[in-house]
Amino acid sequence: MKKKIFRNIAIVSAIFTVTFSIMLITNYFQVRGFNPLQAEVVETLRQINDENAGNLKLQEQIRQLDLLARRAYFVRLDHLMVGVYILVGMLAVFVVSLRLYYAKEKDIPGRQVSPADDWATKTRAREYVGWIAGGLAVAALTLAFFTTPFFKSGTNASDAQHATVAQAASGEAVERTELADMEAEGTPLSAEVNDEDSGGSGDDSVAVKEGEMKADLAEASASKPGVTHNCFRGNTSNAISPARNVPTSWNLATGENIAWASKIPRHGFNSPVINGNKVFITGADEQARELYCYDLTTGQLLWTLAASNIAGSPAQMPETTEDTGLAASTVATNGRQVCAIFASGDLICADMDGRRLWAKNLGVPENHYGYASSLLAFGSSLIVQYDNSKSPKVMALDMATGVERWVKNRTDKITWSSPIIAYVNGQPQLVLMGCPSITAYNPGSGEQYWRVEGLSGEVASSPCSAAGVVFGASEYAALIAVNATTGETLWTASDFLPEVSSPVATESNVYLATSYGVLACYDAKTGELVRSHELNTEFYSSPVITEGKLYVFSNSGTMFIYSANRDFSLLNSFDTGQKTFATPAFTDGRIVVRTENSIYCVAEKKQARS
Amino acid sequence: MKKTVAFSTFTLKVCSLLPALLLFVAPVGAQRFPKPDFESGYEYPELRYAMPSEQLWMLVDVALLVALMSLVAWAVVRRRTRTPVVAASIISVAYFGFFRSGCICSVGAIQNVALALADSSYTVPLAALLFFILPIAFTILFGRVFCAGVCPLGAIQELVNVRSYRISKALAAALGVIPWVYLILAVLFAVTRSSFIICRFDPFIGIFRLGGDIGMIVFGALLLVAAVFTGRPFCRFLCPYGALLSLFSRVSVWKAKITPSCISCELCHSACPVDAIRPPYANKVKESRQHGVRRVLRYMALLPLMAGAGAAALYVASDSLSQTNKSVRLYRMVAQSEVAPQDELSPELEAFYGQGGTAQELSLRVESIQADFRRYSAVAGALIGVVIALSLITLSLKRTRKTYEISDAACVSCARCFDYCPKNRVKATESRISP
Repeated sequence: MKKKIFRNIAIVSAIFTVTFSIMLITNYFQVRGFNPLQAEVVETLRQINDENAGNLKLQEQIRQLDLLARRAYFVRLDHLMVGVYILVGMLAVFVVSLRLYYAKEKDIPGRQVSPADDWATKTRAREYVGWIAGGLAVAALTLAFFTTPFFKSGTNASDAQHATVAQAASGEAVERTELADMEAEGTPLSAEVNDEDSGGSGDDSVAVKEGEMKADLAEASASKPGVTHNCFRGNTSNAISPARNVPTSWNLATGENIAWASKIPRHGFNSPVINGNKVFITGADEQARELYCYDLTTGQLLWTLAASNIAGSPAQMPETTEDTGLAASTVATNGRQVCAIFASGDLICADMDGRRLWAKNLGVPENHYGYASSLLAFGSSLIVQYDNSKSPKVMALDMATGVERWVKNRTDKITWSSPIIAYVNGQPQLVLMGCPSITAYNPGSGEQYWRVEGLSGEVASSPCSAAGVVFGASEYAALIAVNATTGETLWTASDFLPEVSSPVATESNVYLATSYGVLACYDAKTGELVRSHELNTEFYSSPVITEGKLYVFSNSGTMFIYSANRDFSLLNSFDTGQKTFATPAFTDGRIVVRTENSIYCVAEKKQARS
Repeated sequence: MKKTVAFSTFTLKVCSLLPALLLFVAPVGAQRFPKPDFESGYEYPELRYAMPSEQLWMLVDVALLVALMSLVAWAVVRRRTRTPVVAASIISVAYFGFFRSGCICSVGAIQNVALALADSSYTVPLAALLFFILPIAFTILFGRVFCAGVCPLGAIQELVNVRSYRISKALAAALGVIPWVYLILAVLFAVTRSSFIICRFDPFIGIFRLGGDIGMIVFGALLLVAAVFTGRPFCRFLCPYGALLSLFSRVSVWKAKITPSCISCELCHSACPVDAIRPPYANKVKESRQHGVRRVLRYMALLPLMAGAGAAALYVASDSLSQTNKSVRLYRMVAQSEVAPQDELSPELEAFYGQGGTAQELSLRVESIQADFRRYSAVAGALIGVVIALSLITLSLKRTRKTYEISDAACVSCARCFDYCPKNRVKATESRISP
């Protein structure tokens, strides 16, 4: 009789326990998903209150609802806890009743499942151990598959991380953005080039072997200490700088936060670049074309290298317009070499101490405004977008020797924009604006990845990329977002379009500055115009984002600093008093600005002293 | 309104962080966040801090640990009776489990000790050290009396166990490899300062604390349900400390024994929930001696190869394993953030940049961690290889048993066999009758 009772209690408690467990788990997820601080109704009322401040009745209502939401939350928590106690109690009842039910039923011999044959048991156990060992090996190899280049065709984040980290350990500084690029996106290790379409002879077609690419990638992350700004708009020319503690105000007249200022010997519209403690710019006129190196800390002109005695260099400089000049192209450096190009087609490369390594003339470009595309350093390769009316092409040269690695003829019309590197699914893509297309190439081989048409007119603005999407815009055409994985156009917009200034993008937003004084923010996913500011000025300089802030100079020299988010609100703006067309360069705690005739460095006073 | 919201937020935070605050507020003695200023003139009550009592509790913990192990040792080795073991189990579950919330426990203390051995800058808490050493000392003396009913994890399984349905002996023998693998991995993650996985994946901690990670609670509940019908699944197939103790119990001085006046009734063998009693077995050779010897030699030759393969496998997997380290994960987040900046920083990145962290500094730290991972992963892999090879060798040895024998490594000293043994009962009755 007793036994029956215990059995029934065990059954009832088991059913109760299972049912109750399901209810508790459901309740747990309900409570977990509810945050009393973000109750939907309360949030809505709060927003209404924010818009109509001073409504005391509404505020009281919010308070009451808020209190109710909190009470409900804690009551639910209490219920959950009580439920847990009941569950534990019922479990105990179940176990005890079951034990009592079986109290007089001892395990009797002969119930074992396994055969009594010890040797057979061991033989089978060895098999099972073999299976377990195999399972462990598969698990280890699966883990390894995700991290080891041996198992994959390309590197991934961790591999690149190893490379960059190893460099850091060996004393070579690692620049943040490159490091991040390498880490998070990865780069291909093997790329063989067979450039049948190249304009050069067969001998000139350089097959970039795996080792060479590896060296490129390794060098892509090597530079001097601190944050570098190796090319126009930063290292990949995407206008996103990892610099920290960047000043947000300065005054040229009073010297507030100005570390130094210096006159530039010759004219130019190119932008400064920073590597280590060195700042590079160029200047040119009819008399000479020169590459300058300044000390980042003191502003002292460290050395000047003239682009002279170059075979094929024209005796007479090509005609250029006043707003382009002979030195509109920004230099590029990889921390070992620095290269500059001028409107004459003269390309010169030096080591970091100003010793000329090589120089060549690429042929005087036929260009009615003047050659203006900036150089791009990708590891040990120098990317030259040599667009001109006669034979537009893009090429990669060895920065140390000038040897051509690959060259690709282009079918697009002449442009004045500059190349960028976009990292897409772990692969670097060289992206060029053209007319009418945006084109992506393999930077290791020049092989074309994709081409999207949609631009028109005179394209001077450069592209930008973020999160696998490339954005390009030209005035009177459109802002185009391209899925860089597939080459499909995601959306186009035409509310506000840049003429000279280049856009900058984050994963969420695209920002651009127009030559008629509008700063606009678009949704990067949809192309919807998020916000715009009409500033009654003119922008040629390109915006750069650092520390969540967007910095952009107007031509008249007013610096505008906006929050780089959907608010896109003005954080600060001030007139520097000097016309500025170039895009500033950023490093930790410092900004280097080139104005019409001078160059200056902004730094907080303590930074400046250090 | 804002103040009300601020107060509510503050109250909630305080409530949710109460345990942590209890530990940290007293020594720091300063408010982390400024108190809200109430227009209503509300005045805060004076804060009173409880005196820290951890030292006292540590003494109680250690004293109870020693007392319970002594009780079980006395019951198992001297008295050959089960009742005190059950009593110890109830006390252990109540005190070490529910009252002390399953912390500190000897199983997790492995990690503290391993980290202290690998990193001289880490000071192992005295309680953790004692909880690690004392059960080992008792095991060397009396067998696995700690597992019997002092370990709350074992005790709770023991208490809920009603029937001991057997699983295949072959399968059980093979699954015995898993605790060793778990132990080795736990030590690997501990010495690399990545994670104390034994604590993190303790299946019963959620039950003892009546709350926690839902996945682990469900896992713990399933283990308990399994423990109702089969003996101690966690102890046998998962517990890393049990694996360690099984090593020492092989050489223990005094331990549970089969009664000398055994009548081979098989009751103890059937009763043993962990299948630690081996019945008599006449080794009927089914293969030639030469064949058996060859197999053993083959496994011995394979041992260094398996160690090497294990080392290589975990070495190449070390990068993946290193993702368990929070600095490595942060580094990845920083890298991703710098490639594709977001409008809003995650709390981790905000903290990182807010403290003036740079990717370069972090990369150096990560490099060191990953170097550690490569080194220790290779060692761990080699050890796993050795464990598997030794298991194969052990499973290739033939033994003849003429009587019932207790496998010292497997026996958890639960004393259930004494309950069943008719000779033991007779002896106990005699001892009660005799003056």
